[in-house]
Amino acid sequence: MTAGADLRSLRPLLLAGLGNPDRGDDGFGPAVLARLARLSLPESERIVCARPLDLLDHWPGRRLAIVVDAALGEEPGRLRRLEPLTEGLPRPASSSTHGLGLAEAIELGRSLGLLPARLIVYAAEGLDFSPGAPLSAPIAAAVEEAVARIAEECRG
Amino acid sequence: MAVRKISLEALARVEGEGSLELSLHEGKVETARLKIFEPPRFFEAFLRGRAFSEVPDIVARICGICPVAYQMSAVHALEQGLGIVVDGPLRLLRRLLYCGEWIESHVLHIVMLHAPDFLGLPDAIAISREHRAEVERALALKRAGNEILRVLGGREIHPINVRVGGFYRLPTPSELSALREKLERAREEAVALLRWVATFPCPECERDYEFVSLRHPSEYPMNEGRVVSNRGLSLAAEEFDSAFEESHLPHSTALYCRFRERGSYLVGPLARYNLNFDRLSPWVQSLAREAGLGPVCRNPFQSILVRSVEVLFACEEALRLLSLYEPPEAPSVALPAIPGEGHAATEAPRGLLYHRYRFDREGTIEEARIVPPTSQNQASIEEDLRLWAERHLSEPEESLRDRCEQAIRNYDPCISCSTHFLRLVIRRS
Repeated sequence: MTAGADLRSLRPLLLAGLGNPDRGDDGFGPAVLARLARLSLPESERIVCARPLDLLDHWPGRRLAIVVDAALGEEPGRLRRLEPLTEGLPRPASSSTHGLGLAEAIELGRSLGLLPARLIVYAAEGLDFSPGAPLSAPIAAAVEEAVARIAEECRG
Repeated sequence: MAVRKISLEALARVEGEGSLELSLHEGKVETARLKIFEPPRFFEAFLRGRAFSEVPDIVARICGICPVAYQMSAVHALEQGLGIVVDGPLRLLRRLLYCGEWIESHVLHIVMLHAPDFLGLPDAIAISREHRAEVERALALKRAGNEILRVLGGREIHPINVRVGGFYRLPTPSELSALREKLERAREEAVALLRWVATFPCPECERDYEFVSLRHPSEYPMNEGRVVSNRGLSLAAEEFDSAFEESHLPHSTALYCRFRERGSYLVGPLARYNLNFDRLSPWVQSLAREAGLGPVCRNPFQSILVRSVEVLFACEEALRLLSLYEPPEAPSVALPAIPGEGHAATEAPRGLLYHRYRFDREGTIEEARIVPPTSQNQASIEEDLRLWAERHLSEPEESLRDRCEQAIRNYDPCISCSTHFLRLVIRRS
């Protein structure tokens, strides 16, 4: 049995916002976490990080982790709900720090036994990832939808 | 004669975006161009008009991997302009913070990005399947580095606790005590990492570089020292502009930094190690020798070994600093309200990082200049590529592309930092 499995009953739900708030729509995850912080939710641990690899320090021993991230896509603002441990997650051409994105972090977590029991990813398709840009209108509009759906998952 | 093109669309396992274009003619590499197409970020322009107290937090945003380096060069340059020296325990804490960044940045590159090149594996995920214990160890080591940043910097990325004059908040004794325990384990893990990396097969490839790094009278350099080279250069940071010049080339959004007189030079772990081997402790020196390194290393592929030596050094140094630390009376020193101009160079994980600022009496930035290590190494990377590609021109294109990417990864280039940066196009005629 792994150390993670021993702790599983001890660590609360993890809510993680992935992204850089100074890089346009990449700030989607941090923006959703900031909104979730204002809600009264069941016990959870909330983190914001820009480097997906850092999630490996936070996943072990969780029954559930929810990661909120921005994604490259064709329809700006479209919110997707993914369960990558059962459905898989596409590995895009890298645009993340040092070529280690969320998909790579999940695969590393899988091979090292550092995954939560269940992982849900909310990903919104971004439009503008320019340095210093604010959230684009379609992504900003997706924040509320993501907050409502994640709050429901937490309470469910 | 027909031109033959080989294109490498996007370099993998480097930070940022760019490409490489090689032009080949009669078995020779005519040109090797790193094409950097990340948009320029104009940090220097938007620092103008801001208060100098904002600079450490703004420049930390230039890089998610080496924010401490940007903060350290900034605060030292601004303090020089103010005519103050931050010494004693505050200086010690800054060096400790830098140790944390060297550990996490180097370990990320060594195990997650560079090691696959030597093990014949596609990526870190494949390494984690075949060398699980080593990857677990690396993650633990990286966590120790992160922990230093969290305790001293306030958080692990883009630290917020560094200010001109010192820090906003001092660490508590219990935080430092917990850090010491983690670093004692990290030091053992760093020895094991170095011994593992020493088993990697390494290509033979030496070049006669001009190495440039800081040199301090008694320490392995981080925050202070003269800018020196193995060919007699010895400058104070404020003389940086007199020796080096930046120019813009059409194929890249990054500026090229060269010696005014001698062209390319190399900054980073190899330069630091070669110019400062005598500043490592006898214990680290002996482990470097055990790993197969002499006091001078001119093989860029052995940079992975030198980075591992520096991780070991950073763990040892962090523990030494912790044993010496006595809390100061205040977390920062008072700052005079005077106009000024200041320069500083510090050793980012990837090499020398130069900053210059001019500010008015109210502390408003009038001019800022930032020369990151990857801009300084750009010309040297292209020269390595010319040499390395020429040796392997007879190989199939896919193999040649792999080799070129490996030669670039030797530098752990931080493309976003340099954009002020990677795809590969090979033109054969």
